[in-house]
Amino acid sequence: MTAGVSFRALAGRRGRRGVAEAGWGRTAAAALVSLVYFLPVLFIIFTAIKPQELALSVPPTISPTSLFGLIPDQFVFPPTLENFSSVFSRVMTTGSAPEPTGFDLYFFNSIVIATVSVLLALVLGTLAAYGFSRYPLKGNDTYLFIILTTRMLPAIVVIIPVILMFRAAGLSGSYLGIILLYTAFNLAFTIWMMKSFFDELSSDVEDAARIDGSSETKVFLKICLPQVVAGLAATFVFGLILTWNEFLFALLLTSTDTRTVPVAMNQAVSSGGRGTDWTLLAAIETLFLIPVFLVTFFLQNHLLRGVTFGTVKR
Amino acid sequence: MGQAGNCALSLAKVGKSYGSVRALDNLSFNVAEGRFFVLFGPSSVGKTTTLRTIAGLVAPDRGRVEIFGRDWTRAPIAGRGVSMVFQSFALYPHLSVYDNFAYPLVEERVPRSEIDRRVRETAAMLRLEPKLDRRPGTLSGGEQQRVALGRSLIRRPRILLLDEPLTNLDAKLRHDMRAELKRLHRQFGLTVVYATPDELEALSMGEEIAVMRDGGIVQIGTPDQLYETPRDLYVAGKIGSPHMNLIRGTLAADGAGLACGIGALPFARRLGGAAAGEAAVVGIRPSDIRLAGDGESGLAARIAMLEPLGDITVVSVEAGGATLRMVLPESAASSLAPGQAASVVLDPARFHVFRASSGQAIT
Repeated sequence: MTAGVSFRALAGRRGRRGVAEAGWGRTAAAALVSLVYFLPVLFIIFTAIKPQELALSVPPTISPTSLFGLIPDQFVFPPTLENFSSVFSRVMTTGSAPEPTGFDLYFFNSIVIATVSVLLALVLGTLAAYGFSRYPLKGNDTYLFIILTTRMLPAIVVIIPVILMFRAAGLSGSYLGIILLYTAFNLAFTIWMMKSFFDELSSDVEDAARIDGSSETKVFLKICLPQVVAGLAATFVFGLILTWNEFLFALLLTSTDTRTVPVAMNQAVSSGGRGTDWTLLAAIETLFLIPVFLVTFFLQNHLLRGVTFGTVKR
Repeated sequence: MGQAGNCALSLAKVGKSYGSVRALDNLSFNVAEGRFFVLFGPSSVGKTTTLRTIAGLVAPDRGRVEIFGRDWTRAPIAGRGVSMVFQSFALYPHLSVYDNFAYPLVEERVPRSEIDRRVRETAAMLRLEPKLDRRPGTLSGGEQQRVALGRSLIRRPRILLLDEPLTNLDAKLRHDMRAELKRLHRQFGLTVVYATPDELEALSMGEEIAVMRDGGIVQIGTPDQLYETPRDLYVAGKIGSPHMNLIRGTLAADGAGLACGIGALPFARRLGGAAAGEAAVVGIRPSDIRLAGDGESGLAARIAMLEPLGDITVVSVEAGGATLRMVLPESAASSLAPGQAASVVLDPARFHVFRASSGQAIT
């Protein structure tokens, strides 16, 4: 609920003020903090393009370039893309030819499962949220609370009944099973998030549309939905990140064919008995970051801009 | 009323409750076609609920709503030929001004070329042509108000409902928009139902005014009728600025005067239906009190306060323990000072007499 509100408040302020109003000092301070937060990510990306033998070198190599002699040679590593190719195909047993690792399938699985389940939750959850917001039941808050409790239990608590149910229903290891499970998990979050956005809308605007001749369906599709695009984008991104990173359910409820990247990643780096292959792990992680990064990047305008600001005088 | 033309709108004994709160109570009125009808009353008196009932947004619990002779009480919103301007303007925030105007026409499946023609015509009429591509959020309050008006007029409604449309504008803009609304009303011959808590708006714009209280109507009349013959103390207190002076006392035995703290106030004529000794209130408007002329006998009073308002001055005087307010031309008030003794004359022909118990006027 607060997430929805603060997004919209942020959007309003941003729309009103000039970009550089904070001044250089604060901008530089913000940049410094951002850099500190971004450092681990940068470290992973650099490790992904390091030669395998330099992964744990002491002192650590920190840069793929000497920056025109600025960085002493012992801290510079020669960049390579070899780790990325070994994500998809590498030598499994010494002396044999490189074998496909199946990671193309795992990435495909992750993308399909996360996208479908988050979109499904978004469609169902948005409709439910509109219902809760506009046609409240007797004891509306109780229903909403019950929905929220589904998110209060840690996954580990419900995993045994879920596994048994999936066995009985024949859903274990199937796309449908894991998609339905993630949809159910995202639904609670989607309903709460979208309800707070719908609650913020002015009911006068909807009544105006009714007087202008719109049916209830059109009021929802043409008036309400376009005003909560920012909420849809934010909910989509949050849901996507949660689902994309989910490990436990995926580990226990997917088969070799439906395995997602987090599960495959775990198995890839710990197999072979040679200890952890850090550069391979970093390469997988770097690839794993890209889809979520792209989605967030393309939706950032919607995340920051509330279209409804300042249109209704109260 | 109703002689001016067909009856455009008729509400009969309409009632609506929300839980234990009675929003509308036995509400009845008729509006003749082409009339500028004002619903006047303080906030939460049922004005908005009345308009929403007419528009079909609220289904009444009891009573009947007729629009041009047809019963619409339980009918859906569409097809009533009624449009509404909301107090909040309620513009579609995600659509440009052009699309806000076009929305009702798109919903009516008007052809594209016709929509374009009417949008541009409406924009020209309201001087909004340069703003057609803008979102409502980027417009000033006055511009948003005009967009809301345009969106209501573009459908060519038979009845236009206006819910406190000027409340959110600043004083200067309010003055301009009053004139604009009157012009639009004349130009289109529209039937208008206008809700406002503002006395000035009600009196200056309304051809007919319904004074509302507690979800019902206390009195309907022209501005003159409400000013000259208020039916009860409530109406007398709401209409007229500065407010009417109210003097409490008891009716004299013959029903021809009031005994009160100021002294005996004789009436211009005997009142029928008044019991001797009954508690009563005499109301007199500040403009019906004047200073006594030379040699004229008047009420002994003392000037308490002067409020100069440009060409008129509101003078408060104390007489017999009561404070009376009178309106004098600036020239007549310039020689007065607080504390000074004065003699004032109350015009008996302009007395309004009310029962103290019920507030009803005695005639």
